[in-house]
Amino acid sequence: MQAVQKTFRERLIDFTIYCRERQFVLGPQETRDAFAIAEKGYALDRKMFQYSLKAIYCKRKEHFDRFDEMFQRFWSRYYEEKLEQRQKQIQQLKKEKDTATVIFLGTEFKVPKKEVKEQEAKETVGANESIRLRMTDFSKVDVTDKEKLEELAEELFHQMSMRFKRRLENANKGGIDIRNTIRHGIDKGGMMLDLAYKRKRKEKRKVVFILDVSGSMDTYSYYLLRYVMVLKKYFKSLEFFTFSTHLTHVTPMLRANNEAQILKQIGTNVNSWSSGTKIGESLTEFLSVYGSKFLSQKHIVVILSDGLETGSVTVLKEAVRTIRRKCKTLVWLNPLKGMKGFQPIQKGMVNVMPHLDAFESAHNLDSLLKLEKVLMDV
Amino acid sequence: MNKDIEALIQDFYAHDYILNEELATSIFLLKNLEKPLLLEGNPGVGKTMLAKTLAEHLGTNLIRLQCYEGLDVSTTIYEWNYQKQLLHIKLFEQEKDKKALGNKIFGMDYVLQRPLLQSISADKPVVLLIDEIDRADEEFEAYLLELLSDFQISIPELGTITAKTKPLVILTSNRTRELSDALRRRCLYHWVDFPSKAKEIDIIAKKLPTIDEELATQVVTFIHNLRKSSLHKPPGIAESLDWAKTLLLMNQKNITDEIVHNTIGSVLKHKDDVEFVRNKTVQEFLVPVS
Repeated sequence: MQAVQKTFRERLIDFTIYCRERQFVLGPQETRDAFAIAEKGYALDRKMFQYSLKAIYCKRKEHFDRFDEMFQRFWSRYYEEKLEQRQKQIQQLKKEKDTATVIFLGTEFKVPKKEVKEQEAKETVGANESIRLRMTDFSKVDVTDKEKLEELAEELFHQMSMRFKRRLENANKGGIDIRNTIRHGIDKGGMMLDLAYKRKRKEKRKVVFILDVSGSMDTYSYYLLRYVMVLKKYFKSLEFFTFSTHLTHVTPMLRANNEAQILKQIGTNVNSWSSGTKIGESLTEFLSVYGSKFLSQKHIVVILSDGLETGSVTVLKEAVRTIRRKCKTLVWLNPLKGMKGFQPIQKGMVNVMPHLDAFESAHNLDSLLKLEKVLMDV
Repeated sequence: MNKDIEALIQDFYAHDYILNEELATSIFLLKNLEKPLLLEGNPGVGKTMLAKTLAEHLGTNLIRLQCYEGLDVSTTIYEWNYQKQLLHIKLFEQEKDKKALGNKIFGMDYVLQRPLLQSISADKPVVLLIDEIDRADEEFEAYLLELLSDFQISIPELGTITAKTKPLVILTSNRTRELSDALRRRCLYHWVDFPSKAKEIDIIAKKLPTIDEELATQVVTFIHNLRKSSLHKPPGIAESLDWAKTLLLMNQKNITDEIVHNTIGSVLKHKDDVEFVRNKTVQEFLVPVS
């Protein structure tokens, strides 16, 4: 009887690992809870088992949206194969109430056949594959990897944003607020029992992202856009612009509640997507229209572009020089920097390099995650 | 469907709350695994109402903690009753054993219980609603961890206070900020979406039994089409109900352009959204929703 029960446990552990490999954050407690519901016999009802595991294993909406499909993929064949057998057993179990769960579970969830295991192994994104995907250039992602990369990016960006948030948090208590402490003490005969504290001023980081969405950046701009969307959650003062032949202020579109809606709005409203590149003119437009509002010595400006300028290099150089003068730090992220043997010898880049505080690559997940350090340092 | 789940759905229905099987399973686990349930979703989808209905279903009290920025231990867990302590000190001024006096005034009798402490001190399990946790600071989330995982609270002078009875904890969040992984790990999770058209018609019919079926269908179709538009604040179920109630009070049988113009304020709460709707015809929003 014990061995039979262990078989089911193994199966459930396999599913937990399967979820973990798909970036679900699951610890031993979740596995224990899953066992608890199975031992109570809730696995007899497929829907109930699915919804129960969903409530236990999902921790965020993104997990919630993916879970049903994952559950189907993993458990379907077991439920289908044994459906007929199960019907008979349930009848039998009604007569033998005490042993019901154990008998059912034992026959229902056997160790997967070898070929099934091999198939699942192929479907699984293991640790090595995660590393490989992190290092894959966005422009070289094939169709089969795209979905996995999406999932990985989502989770890693989330983890990064949580780290951002923790670092940006300051302790709330400052020094003692004497005025309020005395005021609080009035009804206590002047005894200062209730100390009031000043609230420590939080350091506000203001960031402006200017993303190149021209044709030459096509393979990168989607991931860079997602990256900025994640950062927006944690930098309250983040402004976001896109440009190709002209500039678009995207920040108001980031107000929508869900990511799909944001992407849809940007897709509809940014008309110049995938067109030519006029970096200089676009940055000049940024300076003249938005410069007074979004440039100060508190602002970090991040330009995400390959620097392949088709307009005037003089205009570009002047615009970058002015932006650098008016902001605290200017960072340029260039996806081409990740290419082997890359040298910033294009006219556009050669002219702007002297004005940059940092020049980094942004061609794969790994390089985007490393930007965390750059942004925190500045 | 599992009988327990079915019974739960029926009982909630009797309390005017329409549960689907998935959400009912989460509620069932909340009761049986004794783990908090984190509900996320857009404003107005019925997260808070769910906690209220759960309390009614169990015939127990609901203790609600509305979160906001700056929430701290003294407003959520406990506060010392300083006035009472001072009076005690004055009364026993001549007492020589000052240590005993100190121990006395920092005892349980001098604690003012706030919602979280109340919830674990109750004689009968209560429903504890921690509403809009995303509005509170991260420090407050940290305070909550001990309560959510072990149902206990530590007070430096008194030690650890373990729950007499475990409350059923529901946390809600509108996702205005990300919650910590530590908090999420301690909870069951459910994303509460806007209801399907049929379910929303059911909700309106349940809450407003005198409403004409055609009018309810029109209201829901209109609202569902609005939710598909890019609005600053998409209307929730509460807005659907408010609007249906308004139309009912005005004895309307159909939604017309004039009615929309005059009453849309009960549905949309943002100037740009109102203008967006007023610039369109009612027919555009009465297109059947797939």
